[in-house]
Amino acid sequence: MQATHSVYHNYFGQFGGRYVAEVLRTPLDLLEEEFAEAMEDPGFQREFDTIADQFVGRPTPLLYAENTTREIGGAQLYIKMEGLAHTGAHKINNAVGQALLARRMGKTRIIAETGAGQHGVATAAVCAKLGLECRVYMGEIDIRRQKPNVFWMQMYGAEVVPVTSGSRTLKDAVNEALRDWAHSFPETHYVIGSALGPSPYPDMVREFQSVVGRETRQQVEAAGLEVAALVACVGGGSNAIGFFAPYLDQPEPRLVGVEAGGTGDQPGRHAARMGGLGTPGIVQGYKSLFLLDEDGQVQPTHSISAGLDYPGIGPQLASLGASGRVEFRRARDQQALDAVGRFARNEGVVFALESAHGGAAALQLAAELPPHQAVVVNMSGRGDKDLFIMAGELDRRAWREFLLSEGDRL
Amino acid sequence: MNAADRPRAGQDRAHGTAVRPAVMAHMIPWFPDRERSFTIARALLDAGVGYLEVQFPYSDPTADGPAIQKACADALDAGFRVADGFEYLERLRAHRDVPIFLMSYAGLVYRRGVAEFVRRAADHGVTGLIVPDLPPGSDEGLYEAAQRYAISAVPVLVVTARQARIDAVAAVRPAYIYAALRSGITGRRTVIDSDSLAFLDRLRPIGAELMAGFGVQSAEQVQALAGHVETVVVGSAFVRVVEDVLSRRPAEAARHTDTLYEAVHAVARELVGS
Ligand SMILES: Cc1ncc(COP(=O)(O)O)c(C=O)c1O
Repeated sequence: MQATHSVYHNYFGQFGGRYVAEVLRTPLDLLEEEFAEAMEDPGFQREFDTIADQFVGRPTPLLYAENTTREIGGAQLYIKMEGLAHTGAHKINNAVGQALLARRMGKTRIIAETGAGQHGVATAAVCAKLGLECRVYMGEIDIRRQKPNVFWMQMYGAEVVPVTSGSRTLKDAVNEALRDWAHSFPETHYVIGSALGPSPYPDMVREFQSVVGRETRQQVEAAGLEVAALVACVGGGSNAIGFFAPYLDQPEPRLVGVEAGGTGDQPGRHAARMGGLGTPGIVQGYKSLFLLDEDGQVQPTHSISAGLDYPGIGPQLASLGASGRVEFRRARDQQALDAVGRFARNEGVVFALESAHGGAAALQLAAELPPHQAVVVNMSGRGDKDLFIMAGELDRRAWREFLLSEGDRL
Repeated sequence: MNAADRPRAGQDRAHGTAVRPAVMAHMIPWFPDRERSFTIARALLDAGVGYLEVQFPYSDPTADGPAIQKACADALDAGFRVADGFEYLERLRAHRDVPIFLMSYAGLVYRRGVAEFVRRAADHGVTGLIVPDLPPGSDEGLYEAAQRYAISAVPVLVVTARQARIDAVAAVRPAYIYAALRSGITGRRTVIDSDSLAFLDRLRPIGAELMAGFGVQSAEQVQALAGHVETVVVGSAFVRVVEDVLSRRPAEAARHTDTLYEAVHAVARELVGS
């Protein structure tokens, strides 16, 4: 195991590593070197902090969910309002970090994959700001599910390329981006959107997302809270690992990752890799737990949220799950939808459907814990992008009529 | 024919007659379906290809271009399973006993244990294993298991490889090296120029049999590599021939497997130069 730098682990227990075809060896080696140097460079940190302050809108607030807490009668529920970050989700933190790194390496072109579109929108916005060319790969199914984000990416000047291979969702967009990078790396950096993929990506994405955890820690300490648990949804795991990062080396508080329970435990109906449903595998350049069939073929997944239906989990979270430091729960589609409605009515806050999986679990946890303790949920994104899904769920007929009348008007 | 029995590209060159390299034809079982994939294999073997590279289809073939990726997806839709793949190898060997190189991804090889996969491959008469995402150094025991079961694990080296990487690969003492003639993915055409040849000649001292591929589609390209490699790998070109037959003459292709056989056979013969 290499440990050239304290932030570079490569392996996390048995998971992680760099299992890539030879073509990707050179760009990953170079990225590893640059990342390690940048993390030691105060100038790089200052650049990051300036953009975080002026562009991203950091720090994001910590909100006391007072009405919901009263309704539950258990632990105090707090919401880390990461969805208030520019472009609507935590994804911007990583996009800023990697785009700055790309510029440092002299790259002029950025490629990214996106599922929910939040990572794509964040990357497109940062590229506009830094003057980098941007191309985003997005599965055809996700393009339909998250249409508003496609418009925003194009508005920022990015090219959105529909991916029609495989399951036409996030993992296939990752494949397409890897293919692009295999020949474009001399001038192109690939901004992976979650804490997964071959090393150094899982380490790098965690470092750039850990700003969320550091801020939260300061905020709960300033408020004098006794935090019993931190809760975050887990797709690939970037918002969770960033949120948990400052607490990984200590036994408390409880760290709870929430996966997409979908509509059931049968294959193809969920995207829960922990809790016995996933198997060890090597996919897309790293070793972790994946949803695989007996041959090792990647299985189809389902979630109501486009950002949580990835068949693998970041290697560090898989390892933290194995060691027991992070507990995993599942929230079903309907529980996530219910949580969106409840926080909207009670607190005036609309969670993204991804984050609402964390919200649903936090509601349960708060009910299990005493009032002098606090539960903090990371609202990794706000729900604006889910308008088309939520409106249909709320009142299908009225929404359909509206869409048809808009169509006529055009 | 064993690697040891074959004339070395370098030796031929010393005699001033650059012998045309053997062709390793790439194919995918169950593409477009079980029986027709066997028809394709027969056409390739009858045309005189020296080796077969049989790719076990995988759901996420990241190192492959659109042609092979789609063919793999079709093969999986047609019901390919790993166990079927091994049986299929037996059937190929019964038809003609050419060396078979099994290509796949870590996803399939790692699933039930790398050593177990290697053992099964050896049991089914496979000569070499090509697993691009289990390279030396991150191979999960592939090279050790290959030695134990007396088959060859074939490392890949790319034309852009730094000398340190070439040395690291040489250290596993490979019997074969798969030399990728450009960076990127499979499928796009490659221009064979002095850089490609210089790269191949840099690999020569390793003493492995060289198999060069990535974007080789024509007899001229095969000829251009004569004297520099023992074997040339042709992959996407055959997939495209098959796609062409299926799309242009769907009704005909469905009725006569002959159409498919003849199209593949003709292209293979031209490449083999027989
Ligand atoms: C708002 C939001 N939360 C969470 C996720 C899941 O990703 P991760 O697990 O990397 O945080 C996404 C992914 O698109 C997202 O948009």
